[in-house]
Amino acid sequence: MTPLIAGPYRRVREVWRRIRGWRRISFTSGGLVFTVGALAIGFAAVNTGNNLLYLLLGGMLGFIAVSGWLSEQAIRGLVVTRRLPRGVTVGQELRIGYTVRSRHRTLPSFAVEIAEGGLPGRAFLPFVPAGGSTRARSLNTFVRRGVYPLEAVTLSTSFPFGLFRKERDLTLPGEIVVWPRSVRPVTALPTVPGEGVAEGLAVPGMLGHRGEYRSLRSYRPGDDPRDIHWRSSARLRDPVVREYERDGSECRWIYLDVRHEPGDAAEAAIEVAAALAARAVAENHPFGLKAGEAVVPRGEGPGHLERVLDLLARVDFSPDASGPDRALAGDGCVLVSVAGVPGFGTQIVVGISSRPEELLPATRGEGAA
Amino acid sequence: MSLRLLHRRLAVLMGHAGLVAFAGGAGFEPLSAVLAALALTLALFWHPDARLSSHMERVWVPIAALLVVRALIHVVFIGDDVVVPVVDLLLLLLAAEALRSLDAPNDIRLYALSFALLLASTAYRPGVLFLVAFVAYVVLSTLALLVGHLRRRAEHHGVRSVPLGSRLIVTVAKLSVIILLISGVVFVTFPRVSRGWAGRGDTPARSIVGFSDQISIGEHGSRIYSNPQVVLRVEFPQGIPEDVLRLRWRGRSYDRFDGIRWTRSSSLPPSSAPRQWYRDRWEGPLLEQRVYGAPLDVRVLFALHPTVGVESDNGIQPLFDNAGDIIYWGRGAPAYTAHSRRDSPEPSALRESESGYRPEARFFLQLPELDERIPALADSLTAGLATRYDKAVAIQRWLRSFRYTLELPATAREATLQHFLFQRRAGHCEYFSTAMVVLLRAAGVEARNVNGFLGGEWNRFGGYLAVTQNQAHSWVEVWFPGYGWVTFDPTPGGAAAEERIASWYWPGRILLDGIQHRWSKWILDYDAELQSGLVRQWAGLLGPMRPTGEPSPEGSRRRGRVLGGALLVLALLIGFRWLRRRPPTLPRETRAYIRLLDTCRRAGLPTPPGLTPLALLERLGLSHARAVNPARRVVDHYLRARYGGEVLGKSELREMSQALTATRRMLRQGSRQVRSGASPEEIER
Repeated sequence: MTPLIAGPYRRVREVWRRIRGWRRISFTSGGLVFTVGALAIGFAAVNTGNNLLYLLLGGMLGFIAVSGWLSEQAIRGLVVTRRLPRGVTVGQELRIGYTVRSRHRTLPSFAVEIAEGGLPGRAFLPFVPAGGSTRARSLNTFVRRGVYPLEAVTLSTSFPFGLFRKERDLTLPGEIVVWPRSVRPVTALPTVPGEGVAEGLAVPGMLGHRGEYRSLRSYRPGDDPRDIHWRSSARLRDPVVREYERDGSECRWIYLDVRHEPGDAAEAAIEVAAALAARAVAENHPFGLKAGEAVVPRGEGPGHLERVLDLLARVDFSPDASGPDRALAGDGCVLVSVAGVPGFGTQIVVGISSRPEELLPATRGEGAA
Repeated sequence: MSLRLLHRRLAVLMGHAGLVAFAGGAGFEPLSAVLAALALTLALFWHPDARLSSHMERVWVPIAALLVVRALIHVVFIGDDVVVPVVDLLLLLLAAEALRSLDAPNDIRLYALSFALLLASTAYRPGVLFLVAFVAYVVLSTLALLVGHLRRRAEHHGVRSVPLGSRLIVTVAKLSVIILLISGVVFVTFPRVSRGWAGRGDTPARSIVGFSDQISIGEHGSRIYSNPQVVLRVEFPQGIPEDVLRLRWRGRSYDRFDGIRWTRSSSLPPSSAPRQWYRDRWEGPLLEQRVYGAPLDVRVLFALHPTVGVESDNGIQPLFDNAGDIIYWGRGAPAYTAHSRRDSPEPSALRESESGYRPEARFFLQLPELDERIPALADSLTAGLATRYDKAVAIQRWLRSFRYTLELPATAREATLQHFLFQRRAGHCEYFSTAMVVLLRAAGVEARNVNGFLGGEWNRFGGYLAVTQNQAHSWVEVWFPGYGWVTFDPTPGGAAAEERIASWYWPGRILLDGIQHRWSKWILDYDAELQSGLVRQWAGLLGPMRPTGEPSPEGSRRRGRVLGGALLVLALLIGFRWLRRRPPTLPRETRAYIRLLDTCRRAGLPTPPGLTPLALLERLGLSHARAVNPARRVVDHYLRARYGGEVLGKSELREMSQALTATRRMLRQGSRQVRSGASPEEIER
């Protein structure tokens, strides 16, 4: 599409999106039958002159009008707040919580559903009291890891009679981070004592609990609330935590080779990397992750695992991506790769079976999974 | 009460309403109606479990099959009205669905069956009971549809209970008032293009007591009992006549008397006077009568004599027969407008009308074999009188000296004309009219017997004259050349009124009859003419127009008043809304800051809950550096007012507003540049 057309086209689409966002109305199956019935009765009334049919027609039109008005009242004046978890693992249920507040003074809202664009799960609010608020949640399951942007929630209702479905979009930006699975059976990471194995990745000392004080930094989800430095938090008006240093930390590195076409094999490699990270956390070993150019410095604990999973959720595979630096190869580093890197050292090469559910990591070199 | 139970009960009550609506129209076979009503009532309180429900279905299916066969037999072999057997089938299905287990997903079927009953009843001309059932049906269906919808959605989402308070139920029921109002508006304003619906299955009222197609003096051994059935409702658009309770509603005339019974000759030639005579030679203005008749077993229209014109209002086809009686073709209850001359010709004019056209003597001078005393009596009564008018008046005066009674003669021997004239000297109107016609014919004057109604009850509630079967009456018409048939009534005046039997429930019946009449007139018979009349009436509110089409001064004044009234109502509504407006819950500076947040959010800046104003500025600086300065002015004012306790002046609030506008503009420009693919440096510039 040429830029000459693309601009106006985009603008028209935007305007149309906004118009559609105000209200959408559609028939339910019962509503379609009802409306066709009303038309038939109107036709019969005109042809026969039977006045009672006009009365019935008027009643049916009255039902349609009241239905339109009440459904509008049901979804208007609602303020929606969304509560999202930090992330969700592929295959697990994502529970999105909603708090809905009604700005109506007299009329409560009934049978309102909340849906996210592109997600099948809907939250159902049987009743929102006038001037009050209520909570609901929707359940969704994801089959692919990644970051799913959320733009708007759709309020919909077929209240009061189930004849028509009225929808309204509310702009509510957000995102869902879907982490890869981390349940593949893998062996423990090889460990090396002291500093890291490669230049540029090692840090002077590992983070640790209640060790030597190192610095302050902004609070990150997953941090131990006991580490919050309240005085600094009050001064900066933002939660700040203390970081500690643990001497003599063991050092592990997971290197994810992202040089491959995206696909099931690449996803399997990511899941193997996630499983390695989960195992390291479970065994309380510190580790770091490098995937392409992205790096998560060494750390430990559930918060660290979330950061690693966040990165893995965002990783893109590409054949043109830069390969692993051979200088990284060493005792503390495990390469997870689809094609394998000859002579790298410890590496896990992910093979692919005919059935995706049977994807299993293959081993090469010294690594084992 | 659970939603399921509440919903089932409401749906069953809808079935009750449908049942009542149909009963108000066509009636039922008593057995099926009673059984259906019992089953529906049972379904309000008892519901079988799923197992019993499936067992019961095995009973319903063969019965339904039998009813289908019965309906087919009605159509194919008997050719009878198929609606009633079909309605029996509907009732069976309704009862079967109502008596299913609460888990059965049969909402739509229950709705459809009850609506089918309502729909079927419109094929008839139901009474005002239909209106009651319709209102109940709308209220119940509003509630049932709402509760049913909530129930289905709650079950779909696994929600166990929905808090439906009784107050809410009442509120929702009030919504049905809106539905009824819309229904009324559609009913009144929907343009009518066809003639009214005659209705099917109108059962003619066979009058045991009251008007019938024959006059007989042979009954004996009893008395005439009351029959308060209303047969005519008459409106007078030009105003109520002074003697409205003494008007004679002429129906049938009879020319042949066999000594006991009056009949109509099958070969009667045209024997009515030209209507031109009545229009030109009779006295008084034309009186318009708008008549709503009940269907009788005689297809005759009633009007004042002499009728010079009659028009139908609901599709029947009226016409004058050879005797000048008004008969009609078509179905249903007749509604028509008749125009009649008000007053008879002057006696002097009638005395002079001795020569001219006379109807055939073999019909109107016909007499059976009579007791020889009767011709002698006629001669004695008319002796010395030269004109037919004087003869008629003399006979009438003589008969009025008799006594009126509803007691019939005791034996057949006493139920004769001669017994009435020479022994009993008392009887009901048919004896008097018969006696006068016979005496007139014996005196050589053409006369005939006429049947109809006399008087009626004025219904103040409805503004019409209600004529009942109790007012059935017979009188006499005498031919006057050049004038036609002139009415004489030999029945003693006042006696009839004294003897008239009034039922104890008549006052209540007047009210009910008024409602029924309005229902018939404004609902069943509402047509294009009434609709245009309403439009004219509304247009009349705006005042008369001049013939040229220009508004008259009176019209202008009235238009001004109507317009002023409408504006006043509008102003009151706006004032009411203004008084009930939502008070501003937030100060202006806070609202300005919230608008800033919204603006940033729309520009794609994440604004999580708990984001402080300064952090907002910080984030804004990273992505839209140019917008930071105006946004900072908004934030500064907000912080000063919100946390510093300052009261912002008008100029500061204005500055906030301008800064907000500037922020919006810059964010919009920035977003546009991002979309067009500009580099961050370009955006920064």
